[in-house]
Amino acid sequence: MSIADDLTARYAADLRGFGAALPDDFATGARAMSAHLSDEELEAWAKAGIELANSSLRAWEAAAEYFRASADIVERLGTEGIARWAAQATELSSRSSLIAAQFLKSTPEALAVLQPEDLEEWAQQGDRLCRGNWKSIALAQLYFQISPSLFRSLSLPSVGRLVDVIDQLTERSYELATTALEGSGQIFASLSGHDREPFLRFARAVTRASWADTRLYFERGPKLIERIEAPQRAAFLDLAGRVTTEVGRQGFPLFSDAAEALGGMATEEHGAYIAFASKIATGSPTAAMEYLKSAPFVATRLNPDQRSLWEQEGLEILAVEHNPEGAEAYFRLESTRAEERMRALSSRVELSSINSMLRMYAKALSGEPVSVHSAEDLVERGIGWVTESAASTEGSSIYLPPYVATFPEQEANFQVYKVFTTHQTGRMEFGSFDYAWDMPGAHVASTGPRREVAAALRRQEQGIAAPKAEAVTAVQRLFNCFDDRNLIAGLFTVVEDTRVDALVSREYGGIRRWLKRLQDHEIGRRPKVEEMALRQAFVENLLRASLGQAEAIRWPIMLREYMTDGIAALRMVEQAGATVQDSAEVAGALYDIATSIPNVRMPNPDGKFDFEGASQEMMDVLPSMPGGGEGGPDMPGNQQEMAFENPPQPDFRGDFKPELVQLMAKLKLQQEGGADAGGSLTKEQLMELLQNSVELSISEWAEGDLDQSLGMFLDNLQKEAGTPAGDKKGEKKDGDASADGGKGEGPDEGELPVEVTWFYYDEWDFRAGDYRPRWTRVGERVSAEGDRDFYEETLRKHHGLVMETRKQFEMMRPESFKKIKRLEDGDELDTDLAIEFHVDKKAGAGPSARIYNRRNKIERDVAVAFLLDMSASTDEEIEKQKVKHSGKDDDDDDNFDGDPRRYFQWLAARRAKALVEPPKRIIDLEKESTVLIVEALEAIGDSYGIYGFSGYGRDNVEFHVIKDLDEQMSERVERRISKIEPIRSTRMGPALRHTIHKLDEYDAKVKILILVSDGRPQDHGYGRDRTEKEYAVHDTKQALVEAKRVGITPFLITVDKEGHDYLKQMCDDIGYEVVDDIESLPRRLPTLYRHLAAD
Amino acid sequence: MTALTTNAPGFKQIAVEDFRLTEEPFYLPIRDEVELFETAYADSVPVLLKGPTGAGKTRFVEYMSWRLHNKGGHGGHEEGVPLITVACHEDLTASDLVGRYLLEGDETRWIDGPVTRAVKNGAICYLDEVVEARKDTTVLIHPLTDYRRLLPVEKRGELLEAADGFLLVMSYNPGYQSAIKDLKHSTRQRFIAIEFDYPPRDQEAIIIERESLVDAATAMELAKLAEKVRNLKEHGLGEGVSTRLLVYAGKLIHGGISRRRACQVSIVWALTDDREVQRSIEEVVASIFDD
Ligand SMILES: Nc1ncnc2c1ncn2[C@@H]1O[C@H](COP(=O)(O)OP(=O)(O)O)[C@@H](O)[C@H]1O
Ligand SMILES: [Mg+2]
Repeated sequence: MSIADDLTARYAADLRGFGAALPDDFATGARAMSAHLSDEELEAWAKAGIELANSSLRAWEAAAEYFRASADIVERLGTEGIARWAAQATELSSRSSLIAAQFLKSTPEALAVLQPEDLEEWAQQGDRLCRGNWKSIALAQLYFQISPSLFRSLSLPSVGRLVDVIDQLTERSYELATTALEGSGQIFASLSGHDREPFLRFARAVTRASWADTRLYFERGPKLIERIEAPQRAAFLDLAGRVTTEVGRQGFPLFSDAAEALGGMATEEHGAYIAFASKIATGSPTAAMEYLKSAPFVATRLNPDQRSLWEQEGLEILAVEHNPEGAEAYFRLESTRAEERMRALSSRVELSSINSMLRMYAKALSGEPVSVHSAEDLVERGIGWVTESAASTEGSSIYLPPYVATFPEQEANFQVYKVFTTHQTGRMEFGSFDYAWDMPGAHVASTGPRREVAAALRRQEQGIAAPKAEAVTAVQRLFNCFDDRNLIAGLFTVVEDTRVDALVSREYGGIRRWLKRLQDHEIGRRPKVEEMALRQAFVENLLRASLGQAEAIRWPIMLREYMTDGIAALRMVEQAGATVQDSAEVAGALYDIATSIPNVRMPNPDGKFDFEGASQEMMDVLPSMPGGGEGGPDMPGNQQEMAFENPPQPDFRGDFKPELVQLMAKLKLQQEGGADAGGSLTKEQLMELLQNSVELSISEWAEGDLDQSLGMFLDNLQKEAGTPAGDKKGEKKDGDASADGGKGEGPDEGELPVEVTWFYYDEWDFRAGDYRPRWTRVGERVSAEGDRDFYEETLRKHHGLVMETRKQFEMMRPESFKKIKRLEDGDELDTDLAIEFHVDKKAGAGPSARIYNRRNKIERDVAVAFLLDMSASTDEEIEKQKVKHSGKDDDDDDNFDGDPRRYFQWLAARRAKALVEPPKRIIDLEKESTVLIVEALEAIGDSYGIYGFSGYGRDNVEFHVIKDLDEQMSERVERRISKIEPIRSTRMGPALRHTIHKLDEYDAKVKILILVSDGRPQDHGYGRDRTEKEYAVHDTKQALVEAKRVGITPFLITVDKEGHDYLKQMCDDIGYEVVDDIESLPRRLPTLYRHLAAD
Repeated sequence: MTALTTNAPGFKQIAVEDFRLTEEPFYLPIRDEVELFETAYADSVPVLLKGPTGAGKTRFVEYMSWRLHNKGGHGGHEEGVPLITVACHEDLTASDLVGRYLLEGDETRWIDGPVTRAVKNGAICYLDEVVEARKDTTVLIHPLTDYRRLLPVEKRGELLEAADGFLLVMSYNPGYQSAIKDLKHSTRQRFIAIEFDYPPRDQEAIIIERESLVDAATAMELAKLAEKVRNLKEHGLGEGVSTRLLVYAGKLIHGGISRRRACQVSIVWALTDDREVQRSIEEVVASIFDD
């Protein structure tokens, strides 16, 4: 009997009563161990197991693991090691046998990575997680279960740090801690070696700052850092860690955004970005992350050299000016300074910054009331234009790409805009859209009628259907003469653009150089001629010639004559005096040449027609029209012809759509009811035009739904035609809202959908001490109309007051002073006149004694704008306000001396009153006051505007025009006043700025702005959080200061008695009044105005 | 010039009525204004010259006075028709026009005002920018425009009858368009009105060339520029650029200033203080001139 069997027999009794398998486990273990241990040692091993089994209630399970695992590790641990191991297990078992069991079970696997002496530390790490409750036990158990696999990617101390993180999480949520632990094996396995430690370090920071974000971090972190250049990840994570330690909860979102931003950048640049971010992190951690977040945007504007200058400025705000908030705003790109600096450094030019200048420039050149818009707008309008990157015009406005970054220098890019604008203006100035049927050009006679007859004959012969309806426009009629509309339209475009470019060069010497540069640039971007079919190549070559680049022509020498003839014809329109009629004729001649060239692919198998460079002959050719008739050289053999397609237009020339422009002009004429509109167009005619026009790309229309699409398109066109030319809905820059066309567009009878015009304004960020550029968007609209009852009712109710104020105001009439001279009596003596008087007297010439002057009040020149708060808070009932203010609670029976009867009496009275007279709200008072002030102002004759504002968020500040400054008082204004009602929030700054803008545009000597509100500026995002008032108050104050700066006197009236009046404290140097007794507002407002407007 | 009196060394003084143009002023007729004026003059019909500033009104009157003189003189003026010009302003009084007494030692002496002198001498009396004068001053000239052509001299209790050759001419810029500064209808309706506007491109170029001595091509470009800038009237500019300013620009260019710079100081900055408008016009200049 072996010693093992002997032991088994001996301990049989002790082993009984536990699980059925325990004796077997013991026996197997003992047998295996006997090979390694002496008898005494085996004895000790067995005893330790029995002790373990008895150490706590279910400890036998641990013992079973002990018996099972021992043999696998005994060689690694040695006898003493096994004993220590058993002791560790027993220690753990005192916490929970489950933990001990897992510990024992995982040991062999752990030892594959750990050293025997590490077991102690390992056991302690697990022990740390255990706090006695079952959740912590499960967690510790999980720890022992998965940690062996963790050791494959993390060192023991690192795992220790992970345990710290998990431990921290348990204070908040065991569930989260468990998930995190479960996931960690895979996470760390997926991370590369260098990243694991930094990842963990940041995990600690996140957990401390905002435990809930740990889940997100574990989920997304690895993916986020994956895209950052490997050697930079540690630095980035450490930076994020520093930031998080400082900013707390914002840390993780900042990290995640910054990582995302960085990930989108070229990896080799990550180092530089992170290095600079670390530099600013010492002054402001947030600024560092904001900087990284902005990096992708900045990179689109600035090259690395420019960028470092831009960064330097931000760093200065931080390090020299010690203004971290300013630096944050700067790097967040929410400061005017950041934007200006970028604009100054960037070579890219934005349309928005030169839009109004270009508009005036275009007006000067063309003599038309042109407006300038972004090409995006034209595309949006859905009237047939589709390219956003190119310039274009639809005859009354010019459309330009939103930005230009073609060249490395800003000046050159600006000049690109000028060339774009000059070419588009040229189309107007030089009459590109003025083509008239059958008119001779300056150099070429008209062939229109001849071609028309020929086309009709040809169609008859070939059995092609004739046009279904009479042509609507001259261009359409011209194009109708040709079978391939696409070709004739393309040629007409090339020729006409050639003419316009030639004229621009001739007329504008200063542009010539830049036009040339752009033409050179365009040549570099042309598609390869060599890959085109012949006819297409012909047109492309013409286009190259028209760009002044005849040397870039590639053409088969065998067919030289075609090309030479073509270029000679093109040169016709470069001559002085050429008109659009010449262009049309030349296009026709080119069409004839082009159609005699088969559209087959080169090169020919025999190499006969290979493309070659332009011959000198081609480059020097003189203008002439082709002779026509005589058979040209052999054409390449009978290959399959390809479909013809026009080569792409150079950007600066952009889309040329004379057919559509003429159609629009015609529709406009018709809508204006011109008698000379030439009868009305039939739907059939219009459809015919649109279906055939190659100026619309058919792919835009849903297949099979052609009719419907065309119908919609027609609607759009007609809508366009219905609105006057020049500035339309398009975006307007602040301070620049339409020097023209902005007015007089009021919707007719009010049934139109509300037309909103958008304006952009900066907002003042007092923390950064700088404006956030174009931060808010104000939508101006004409206010809705209600019925007139309210207005009349108010007049009736306040009859006495109305009469009184009217009288007072009438007395104010002449208030500005003017010197009246030569009076017999007055308040000052005119020296010149007095001397004359004496000399005359001496001469005995019946002298005139009119030697006095007087300062007299004459003509007023005052404009006032009232801005009414239409926010939801004005919905508050006045009764309620009063009550609140008195600080008493009416429902409290103290007020009724505990007598319920008195209370009920009071209640009944109040209800009855409410029935007769619904409770009044602040807004009602605003409305009543408006009625009164309107009456007063009509008496005095000052110009006045009434506006209301509300909205939600910075993108949607609603600005309601109740009566515009230059609008006459009317019944409709009365209706609008009755319709004033509380809407949403109160973003005062932008509303004020828009009112200032309106006053500034208005011509008057004295300008006043009166804001009537409840004193609570409040809006979504108008401050750091919902409760912060400072930001809003500062911005409002700043807007008021801006008003003063442009010579407007601002005045604030608030109707708030609850101390909600956040503005008051700020407005020390601005006229201000809190209307004490709220209901006196209607009486008070006219009086206030009188004082204001008197000085 | 004739009848110079010398009061002090280096100081020449000349009585207004003795002033004659000795050299033919350059004037390029734009339409039929010369013929109209001559005919009006022959019949003593007062003339109102209407038009924006710097369009050639003053030059025209000078030219006409010279021309009438050189034609052998109407009304027997051997020395032609003198021209007496009064620049009107707000504080212009009746005395300023008609005359006043001056103290001379213990004596008083009457001296004639410019209108009186013109009346006596049969001169052309040119009231420049007449709207600037107060309306009650303007009324004074009404009797002069009657067929009797009388000037009342209130202080001396006299009525002067205008000599042959006297003609009242006024200029007026309707551009100001202010209700206060407008001519009274009763005044207006006593004159025939000749309209002046800036000349068409080709003619303006000739004027610029002649007046400033720049080369023809540059003069043409300046005239083109003017046309473009005038497109901005009411769209940022109150008034278009005047021929006078173009001549200034031409002079600077002729004197060696670069063309863009010359346009900047004599056109852009002279026209407006609005930065944005300035910038736009400068860009137009830059498009036309490459240096
Ligand atoms: N038709 C013209 N012929 C010659 N010079 C002209 C003509 N029109 C304008 N000018 C030039 O313009 C300048 C300004 O004209 P001026 O007669 O002083 O204008 P106005 O009196 O209308 O304000 C003149 O000095 C002259 O150089
Ligand atoms: Mg003058």
